[in-house]
Amino acid sequence: MLKVIAACGSGMGSSQIIKMKLEKVFKKLGIEASIYHTNVGDAKSQAANYDVVVCSESLIGTFTNASAKGITVIGLKNLLSEKEIEEKVTENIVNKQ
Amino acid sequence: MEFLMVVWEFFQNNVLTKPQFFVGLIVFVGYLLLQKPIYEALAGFIKAVVGYVILMVASGGLVSNFRPVLVGLKDRFDLSAAVIDPYFGQAAAQASVESVGRSFSMMMLVLLIAFSFNLLLVLFRRYTKIRTLFITGHVMVQQSSTALWLVLFCFPQLQDAGVVVMLGILLGTYWSVASNLTVEPCQKLTEGGGFATGHQQMFGIWFVSKIAGKIGDKKKSIESLKLPGFLSIFNENVVATGILMLFFFGAIITILGPDMMHKIDKSFAAEQNFAFYIVEKSFNFSVYLTILQLGVRMFVSELTESFQGISNKILPGSMPAVDCAATYGFGHPNAVTIGFLFGALGQFTAIIGLLVFQSPILIISGFVPLFFDNATFAVFANRLGGIKAAVIITYFSGMTQVLGGAFAAYFFMTGKFGGWHGNFDWDTIWPAIGVIMKYGQYVGVAAVVILLLAIPQILYRQNKDTYFLIAEDYDKYLEVKGEKE
Repeated sequence: MLKVIAACGSGMGSSQIIKMKLEKVFKKLGIEASIYHTNVGDAKSQAANYDVVVCSESLIGTFTNASAKGITVIGLKNLLSEKEIEEKVTENIVNKQ
Repeated sequence: MEFLMVVWEFFQNNVLTKPQFFVGLIVFVGYLLLQKPIYEALAGFIKAVVGYVILMVASGGLVSNFRPVLVGLKDRFDLSAAVIDPYFGQAAAQASVESVGRSFSMMMLVLLIAFSFNLLLVLFRRYTKIRTLFITGHVMVQQSSTALWLVLFCFPQLQDAGVVVMLGILLGTYWSVASNLTVEPCQKLTEGGGFATGHQQMFGIWFVSKIAGKIGDKKKSIESLKLPGFLSIFNENVVATGILMLFFFGAIITILGPDMMHKIDKSFAAEQNFAFYIVEKSFNFSVYLTILQLGVRMFVSELTESFQGISNKILPGSMPAVDCAATYGFGHPNAVTIGFLFGALGQFTAIIGLLVFQSPILIISGFVPLFFDNATFAVFANRLGGIKAAVIITYFSGMTQVLGGAFAAYFFMTGKFGGWHGNFDWDTIWPAIGVIMKYGQYVGVAAVVILLLAIPQILYRQNKDTYFLIAEDYDKYLEVKGEKE
């Protein structure tokens, strides 16, 4: 089971959108995952307990420590584009296994 | 007949006037209607009830943490004060609604009617020209709260059913019309990203998209700028609120002085150091805000999910209107920081102005409008008018937020409980709507609804052939547009 954290500024709106879109993409690709959505501050301190962090491209700088520790960090340009999410998930998760 | 009355009274005393159970009931019934299994409906019920109670505890905490400072300002300088932030605004609205002896449960009904009305307008979009469905749950909760107080303030005699229906239609019209205005700016910014903005500054986005190109030069954009690294700490809600509150309350409490604070705040122990008392008091706001957001997230995530489901299921071709942060990926990270920075400068300038001209109300910057409104404006302004537009627009937006917020908190008297909604549309168009409602009464409300509904009609008349195309198929829109030129 893949542990995923979706993050945005307030942890209310866009992280939940990311979560819903991720759920769809994971289902399509047959990946089993649990997704938690929250704000960046919380995500930053909890990242070590997760396998993947997904957030907007503009926030990716917050997670440099996490990616240095080997956690997959995915930055999205369009949070609502299932196509982009699918491409990035395939590239960063499926092809790396 | 008497039996029915007993049942109704029981329902009224135990559910209808207890918002937590009322919200829970709505979620429970909603899940059953969406044909989810009963155990999921039950889980939704529990999360909604618990989330709502968390929210009530936190907003009570916010208001009571603020109270001694408000009392001090009133005694010493005859001033009232308000933090301009949607969470403080929501807490102040709730306190205001309850202070006139009305039930805050209505907020949830207002939200549902407004959402349904938006849905209806989209369903009949060939006639109404509304292309967007507003699905940002937490914003809908905040706006329903503030707007509920506005209506009760303007129509104190109106019965609950009347309040709920009238406001539901008014708010639903605003959600539809304002998010519909952002279709063009958003589609152009995201090059056909397929979403509009459903947030708190939609009229602002539309306005920025009209003026940004005229103010600056889009070739001189923000990307080349190097910003100091320490600014990134403002990305974190808790940290940013802590710093802002320490700054403002530090200043206010220092001016009021330790003697006065001892007198009005029982929680300030005799042996406690004054500086540590200030820090504790200021950080308490971060504490309550975090708790409040936890509560909102708990009961709103269920709501947003069902709204998203509805929007996918029955409305192909329409656009979801989502959180403004969804646009940030399409702007350089610098744009977000620049917006915050110059928005803050604008707010501080206006706050100093309020002090100099002895305004009866003091405004304290809240994090959400400061960051989310101005960052959004900067992203759009930078794309259309470069760095110059981003700087100038966010500076003036910061000033507008303070001045509009000050007027609103004073006029609608939420300053009594220390808060006002504070986001851009709620410092401009909504105070105007409130004033029209206050003096125009029912005629005023009808006029506002009709005027708002006329906006998409005008937009449609300007671009008949591409009006729906830009929302449905952006590539084709570009083709048609290219042929025309």
